[in-house]
Amino acid sequence: MAASITFGNPAATMGAARATTERTWVRWSLIGIAVTFLATFLFLPLAIVFSSALAKGFSVYFAAVREPDALAAIKLTLIAAGISVPLNLVFGVAAAWAIGKFDFVGKSLLITLIDLPFSVSPVVSGLIYVLIFGLQGLLGPWLAAHDIKIIFAAPGIVLATMFVTFPFVARELIPLVEAQGTEEEEAALTLGASGWQTFWRVTLPNIKWGLLYGVILCNARAMGEFGAVSVVSGHIRGRTNTIPLHIEILYNEYQFAPAFAVASLLALLALATLFAKSAVEWKARQYSEEMAKMSGESL
Amino acid sequence: MSIEAVGITKKFGQFAALNNVDLEIPGGELVALLGPSGSGKTTLLRIIAGLEFPDSGTVRFDGNDISDRTARERRVGFVFQHYALFRHMTVFENIAFGLRVRPREYRPSRVQIRTKVHDLLKLIQLENLADRYPSQLSGGQRQRVALARALAVEPSVLLLDEPFGALDAKVRLELRRWLRQLHDEIHITSVFVTHDQEEALEVADRVVVMNEGRIEQVGNPEDVYNYPASPFVYNFLGNVNLFHGRIDDDKTYIHESETGHVVYVRPHLLDIARLSSGGSHFRARIKHINAAGPLVKIEAIAEWGDPVRVELPQERFRSLQLMKNEEVFIIPKDVTVFPARKEMARAK
Repeated sequence: MAASITFGNPAATMGAARATTERTWVRWSLIGIAVTFLATFLFLPLAIVFSSALAKGFSVYFAAVREPDALAAIKLTLIAAGISVPLNLVFGVAAAWAIGKFDFVGKSLLITLIDLPFSVSPVVSGLIYVLIFGLQGLLGPWLAAHDIKIIFAAPGIVLATMFVTFPFVARELIPLVEAQGTEEEEAALTLGASGWQTFWRVTLPNIKWGLLYGVILCNARAMGEFGAVSVVSGHIRGRTNTIPLHIEILYNEYQFAPAFAVASLLALLALATLFAKSAVEWKARQYSEEMAKMSGESL
Repeated sequence: MSIEAVGITKKFGQFAALNNVDLEIPGGELVALLGPSGSGKTTLLRIIAGLEFPDSGTVRFDGNDISDRTARERRVGFVFQHYALFRHMTVFENIAFGLRVRPREYRPSRVQIRTKVHDLLKLIQLENLADRYPSQLSGGQRQRVALARALAVEPSVLLLDEPFGALDAKVRLELRRWLRQLHDEIHITSVFVTHDQEEALEVADRVVVMNEGRIEQVGNPEDVYNYPASPFVYNFLGNVNLFHGRIDDDKTYIHESETGHVVYVRPHLLDIARLSSGGSHFRARIKHINAAGPLVKIEAIAEWGDPVRVELPQERFRSLQLMKNEEVFIIPKDVTVFPARKEMARAK
């Protein structure tokens, strides 16, 4: 009767599975609701974006994407993301490192401040910069006197994008760094590594998947941000429009096919982001399973 | 290299982890810091390593004050309880780490590093696992890799924080004998922290018993076990029966109303007899018998109502043929007496 007490006993496993499984009709109606919901709110709009973009043929599509104002918008979006994502990467790693590895006064205040952009409406985030750097703002007269333009210019857009996206990397890394503790860093120090060597050789490799995940989300938000950027941009065609703002202008002018053509670029970005995100998640899960295996056995 | 800690005090908030501790460790010895959790033993080890800095006090290596040096500058080998292996590096890369991070002028060549790592792999008997990742190793193997990694940088002292704490009983036994052998071969001054008295007594040349941020006793295992300096040490190093008593004319009286002293007796230093022998003894009733293991563990109730634990060799138990609920005489073979006031002050 030894077989009946082995762990891999198929009868026991099946019994356990049956105990936690719903009846067939419950299962299918739950799946049905989920699929209908996804189809209505995600797949259908996505299909409409692409079909409307191509409604007047490929020539209109490519003309809309290659038109100078559109190219300027794409360029500005890339600049805004290209500046804000690396800066937030550095900030996020520094903040996570400080919060995860050290105890200091004001730590919880710092965590709250990092969350601020999540809780503040993007329009307010934009207005903050208008109130500081705008002509009637706090620093307005000084900036005007020195001929520095921030609001209604590219610097304002970069600032607003940075503000809106700065929680992404830090938020992703803080729990990870906290969970990993400081033992590996201490081990590196006793082995003679400098702080810099410890960071590059020990800390960074341990957080790389979480970091990549944060950067992907940060980038998607940086390129798609509308509210905050809209307030500081001034909507000057060919100069201060980002992709989302350009789409809005086209749409308001009843140029539906071009509007959707440019919108399809953002939709493609979203799809690419989703794909990259799943790939990173999959890779990170593999990694954390190994980690769990390691710490699980050692506890 | 000898280690000296003088007047070390360390507080974490209100909690005093170490209270004016003095400790001298001669070069080449294997020393155990033994104590219950919260006794300050790990804090003391981390202060010696430079991973923690004391509020006051001095640490000296070979007489040189190194209190202001960082962990990096002290050249200590540190082995962590949970190994702290670099999880994204192979066994080989883990062991080579300390050599590879050296400034270029001190860094050994690629070939030298390879030779060194392979020598260490041979030492820890894991030559064929060089390309594995830590997650693919068992607990005992990981701990040996951690040890090899610490030894690779040729440290002046080796510090181990509960090195066997996370392993299961059998591996722990193997590994601690292996550590003893290793130490006999390489003679590096080593300090390890443990809360397991058996481990400390078996492995170490010298045992430092700690309690509540103080050192209770320092001595070789025999001395600490046979001549405990305080009730705490006696208590901590093994099972014990406590009786209140007094001393008169070199005689010890157990369970007297006028109790100036506390009498300590280990369970294996009590014998059981059916008949009064005329010597020292007291009556008891047997409550429970556990005959599994090399010693038979017997729980009895003394005539004044307190529980008493006795451990008898199997042969003695068989020849007596003791039964549950039987009335017997218990004969103390050896006792240790401490003044009661000291006991109360320590016990809290």
